[in-house]
Amino acid sequence: MNLDKVIAGFFIILAMTINFGFFYGEMDSLETHSKYELFAAIIINVIATTLKLGDKTQIGSVLLATSLVADIQLISAALIWTVSEYAYTIDVEIASIIISLSGGALLANITSVALYVGETVRSKR
Amino acid sequence: MNNSSLWIVLHKMRAPAIVIIVTYTISIIGLLLIDGMDDEGNPYKMSIFDAFYFITYTASTIGFGETPFAFTYSQKIWVTFCIYFTVIGWFYGVGALVSLLQNKMLIDEVSKLQFRWQVNSIKRKFIIILGFNYVTSEILKKVMQSDIRSVVIEQDENKANNLILENYTPTVPILVADARDQNSLFSAGIKNTNCKAVVSLFDDDELNLTVAVKSKLINKNVALAIKSSSSNHTENLEDINVDIIVNIFEIMAKELKMAINAPHLLKLEKWLYKIDKLSARVPKIPKGKYLICGYGRLGKHIYKVLKHEDVELSFIEIDEKKIKALNEEEKKVVIFANADDKKVQIMSDIRNTKAILAFTDNNTVNLSIIATAKKLNPEILTMAREENADDFSIFANADIDYLFIPSKITFNKTINALLNPLSDIFISSFVDQHEIWAQKLTRKLIETINDDPVVFELELNKYESPQVYKALLANIEVSLEIFATSLYNRNCQNNVIPLLLVRDGERFMLPDWNIKLKLEDRILFACDENAQSDMQYICENVYEFKYALTGEEKRLFRGFKNLFK
Repeated sequence: MNLDKVIAGFFIILAMTINFGFFYGEMDSLETHSKYELFAAIIINVIATTLKLGDKTQIGSVLLATSLVADIQLISAALIWTVSEYAYTIDVEIASIIISLSGGALLANITSVALYVGETVRSKR
Repeated sequence: MNNSSLWIVLHKMRAPAIVIIVTYTISIIGLLLIDGMDDEGNPYKMSIFDAFYFITYTASTIGFGETPFAFTYSQKIWVTFCIYFTVIGWFYGVGALVSLLQNKMLIDEVSKLQFRWQVNSIKRKFIIILGFNYVTSEILKKVMQSDIRSVVIEQDENKANNLILENYTPTVPILVADARDQNSLFSAGIKNTNCKAVVSLFDDDELNLTVAVKSKLINKNVALAIKSSSSNHTENLEDINVDIIVNIFEIMAKELKMAINAPHLLKLEKWLYKIDKLSARVPKIPKGKYLICGYGRLGKHIYKVLKHEDVELSFIEIDEKKIKALNEEEKKVVIFANADDKKVQIMSDIRNTKAILAFTDNNTVNLSIIATAKKLNPEILTMAREENADDFSIFANADIDYLFIPSKITFNKTINALLNPLSDIFISSFVDQHEIWAQKLTRKLIETINDDPVVFELELNKYESPQVYKALLANIEVSLEIFATSLYNRNCQNNVIPLLLVRDGERFMLPDWNIKLKLEDRILFACDENAQSDMQYICENVYEFKYALTGEEKRLFRGFKNLFK
């Protein structure tokens, strides 16, 4: 058993599950979506990205790319939320933008997990 | 991916990045959990953004103060903890980045990248030189004068630094790497169309062969100048079509043979190497008994070349282990003893010996042998080999009749073959000529031109001689004589002698003036500067070519007429 692999796998899957946790709920209202969950999703995603840095293999590069996509979507969701909270009002449109952004990130995370699992299955060690 | 330096940075920055993220997260979560108090004393919870903002400026030690409201004591306790926590995280990250910039691997990667940029930015012809030492640095300077750039691969960092300190202009890119590694050859641009030659003059034959094989496989159009020190290796190199093989021992043995049989040939060679003028004195070498000290690779070559000549050879070798490698014939001429010993020299009949050749690979021993021999026989002709010669030669002061300096010979041969390939072919073709041939040619050169003629090479192609090329394409008969035409008066001849004409690999020594030219002919001339400039005009200028060919001035008017036809 390789501890590095355990940690990397843990964060990659956790990033997806927390992302799902935030995304799950009504599509046009933020009442069923916790900002703390979004915060946690961002942190875990960034950690997962860092763990994928510096892997020169083909699969490593694709994993890094998917992670970067998830990061960008989640961070932009948080930015929009912050800006509209302090400088604007959160209406249905803003809420649905935030939630759909996190939905996009969820897709990226699912791809990432699928690739990760695929690579693990292929590996002989 | 080729660019490894970025990946090294990313890989090494993983741990610091995670430490920073974790410390931030813990601090922010703490601030979110702890109750604060606003201006009016109402309980208040920090928003995620407030907490992030506060931690951002605190962790980076900027410190704007407590926002949005003054902190309660429970918050202050947590913030005290956070400050130590996050600042240490930051310092760790910055420290890791700084130590990474001093990382040897990263520095190497960055310098490799820089080297590749430098090589790619060379837009002229260039050669790759492997190994930086006295000989190759001289080659580098010489080719630079001919407007050819160089790229150097050197394994030893100290030697590489020497090159950097030389401050060549234009810059000579240098890569600190092993020449055996094909990746370093790739980085040095061997696949580049501008790359004209690879020069590998190591003392190690195996290494030279490795380089030769790899270079030929990577790019077969690149010319190779490879050093070899045994006949066996020379054959190997010939098998893979190496263009320029520098076997210094063979060259030295041949020079020795020329010096004995045909000193004027040696003089011609020296003139082509631009060492001596044609009017230089020719020392006479008496025939008779020769005593040669040292029977290693050089001794073997000398024996091979001179055994059928009209001289009596005897060799003295100090290393008795070499006896195993000798055949019966060789055993008769080689004595195993210390050549520097007076008794040994007397025993080998030094008083009746015509010449002593101190050819061991040790400079001090060579000087000492010469000194001993001169004491015993003041009339003796002395020849010595000088290893590792730099700018200053101690042998120059020792009053030696013939001095053989392997590094200079290597340099002369390589540079001549690289810059004047035809002159190199000419030398290798005349080696077996007779003394009379050489004397005649020397006299002719001095009489027609002067005692130091310029050597001029010409190829009849689209770029070097467009006018002749066009005429030959149009099936107009042009004979070699056209190049002798004086442009002042067509009926006069310039001071020029054709030395060699190469046509489809066939060599015509001293071709006749009436020979008809063909496309792709390569011609070597000896001439003066005036004749050279006339030849260049004839090759390139349509009016001068017409005048030289027909004696008519090409008229602008007729040119117009042709246009409107």
